[in-house]
Amino acid sequence: MTSWLAIAPVLVAVVTGTVALLVRSRPRLQRAVNVAGTLSYAAVVGYLAWRVVFAADGGGVMYQLGGWEAPFGIILVADALSAFMLVLTAIVAVYAVVFSGQFIDEQNQRVYYYPLFQFLLLGATGAILTGDLFNLFVWFEVMLMASYVFVAFYGNAQHTAAAVRYVVLNIVGSALMLLGVGGLYAATGTLNMADMAVQLSAPGAVTEPVVGLSALIFVTFSLKAGLAPFQFWVPSAYRATPLPVVAVFAGATKKVGIYAIIRLYFTIFGNADVSATVPAVAGDTALAFLAPVLLVMGLASVLVGGFGAVSRDSLEELLAYSSIGQIGFIAVAVAVAAATTAAELRHLGIFAGLVFALHHAVSKGLLFLSTAVIRDMAGTTKLSELGGLGDRSPLFASVFLVGGLSLVGIPPLAGFFGKLFVFDAATRQFAAATGDSTATAVAVLTLGILFVGAVLTILYATRAWIGTFWGSQTERIQTGVIHDGQVAVLATLAIVVLAIGVGFEPVYQFADAASEAALDTDGYIEIVGPGGESR
Amino acid sequence: MTLTVAATVGALFALGTFLLLREDLVKVVWGLAIISQAANVYLIGMGGIVEGTAETVPVLATTHEPFPETVDPVVQALVLTAIVISFGMTAFALTLSYRAYQENESINVTEWEQ
Repeated sequence: MTSWLAIAPVLVAVVTGTVALLVRSRPRLQRAVNVAGTLSYAAVVGYLAWRVVFAADGGGVMYQLGGWEAPFGIILVADALSAFMLVLTAIVAVYAVVFSGQFIDEQNQRVYYYPLFQFLLLGATGAILTGDLFNLFVWFEVMLMASYVFVAFYGNAQHTAAAVRYVVLNIVGSALMLLGVGGLYAATGTLNMADMAVQLSAPGAVTEPVVGLSALIFVTFSLKAGLAPFQFWVPSAYRATPLPVVAVFAGATKKVGIYAIIRLYFTIFGNADVSATVPAVAGDTALAFLAPVLLVMGLASVLVGGFGAVSRDSLEELLAYSSIGQIGFIAVAVAVAAATTAAELRHLGIFAGLVFALHHAVSKGLLFLSTAVIRDMAGTTKLSELGGLGDRSPLFASVFLVGGLSLVGIPPLAGFFGKLFVFDAATRQFAAATGDSTATAVAVLTLGILFVGAVLTILYATRAWIGTFWGSQTERIQTGVIHDGQVAVLATLAIVVLAIGVGFEPVYQFADAASEAALDTDGYIEIVGPGGESR
Repeated sequence: MTLTVAATVGALFALGTFLLLREDLVKVVWGLAIISQAANVYLIGMGGIVEGTAETVPVLATTHEPFPETVDPVVQALVLTAIVISFGMTAFALTLSYRAYQENESINVTEWEQ
């Protein structure tokens, strides 16, 4: 039996976080424990991914907490989709934790930095693995509590103000999610996700309430993902948070929101027939209601993020807006998948979203960590006070260049495939819309805005590059010291970005299996087997 | 009973939203606490408040009718969890408010820097 695999990543994060708390009087040991713990987390996640996706006798695994059978007990489920998200989280986490040791002040590291980091990781892991709707809420809270402290971490006027706004917003979001979860329980009589899918696809099931109630939960998910119009917390929170943690925020916790949307709408509600039609959207499931909303939000994010990034004057705000725009690309791909009834295009849409998510996690992680190097060296990230860094350290310049080019989508970097498949999905939607003038107009608009978004990405990436690395050296750049250790860590991450693009074949298989799992409601139900033979 | 619960939920959400939009940070935190509690009362309402039977409430097997009205035990468990979370959140929000007040030298959130 390999059912323990589904709980192993959670356990590793809990144990590491707890041990880090216990040894906090010995900073060096604490740091070593954290690096070792995060590496073993990555190893466990890697083994899980191999068992679930690549092994010949592989398949999803399920763990019943306390031995209580689904649908009554809480369960953790690891299928290909969860495994994909976990791998993405693990890559970012390993780099962030190693980099933290070299970037965060010794004093600050001792202020519960590492335990909090592990609990942030724990929350994201639990949210990705859980098979129970209320438990998802609890994991979100675990993740949020750690992130609250990180936003307030430096504790000055700007940081506490950002933290208060972030906390208020997310508590309201959590209350909304609670309303949605309670309503879904009342409507379906269960909290177990697989059981909910069974109940909703049963003939004669009342599915109408699901549309409205899931919209409440959707608001919370898009708040976490930072989709417009819920993007406004992102820049101030990212500016306040320690930069290695921002890499985790942008790379991993935002993706948990996207994951939750995919899991809930596609895997759980995908089979529920709703007897109502939405104009210009094919299909009569809850997905038909998701599609137009998510499309508008995604396109708005692409524009808001793109134009915002072009107009910001500091590197981290530029990247914060950029990550709003990039999440928009993922949302558009998922919306294309939701809008269609053709199995092939739906699969492609999810696939494109997942590949883009992986690319964004590593590329944006690399860029945020590079910003940390610059902050450490020059004491500022304002573009007007930077310049000429390329001469100071050609290695660091090439690392940043890899991240920037990947963001733009230059082959053979990770970002190329992300953009390629998103545009592929949008083009196919256009091709499939022949004869229907509304659908054609929507598809053309989608393609147009995606194109504008891509051009804006080139603009702000170029702007960041020229402002930081070209031109004459400012005084801060001349006197600053570049930490070789930090650059060395980032160089390996740049190689990862390159490797994902060059060796895309296994990534393709993995994302393919993950999107297969996202759409395979019956497969998910089979893994969980709610009620066993009694049903 | 359901009507009472529904009216309470509505009133609590209205009050919470009103407080949330104040300029005084302490009132905002009050608003958060009230909205969290409103969600809890709503959960109780969604579980359905019906006359208990010995099947749903085992202890009633040894007593006689009329049975009291009870709430679905699952939502009770959910509310218990949610209460603990919102308790922790409120404590954190208050602590953070105090620090933010010290740093920004004002309890009025509109006077803070962006």
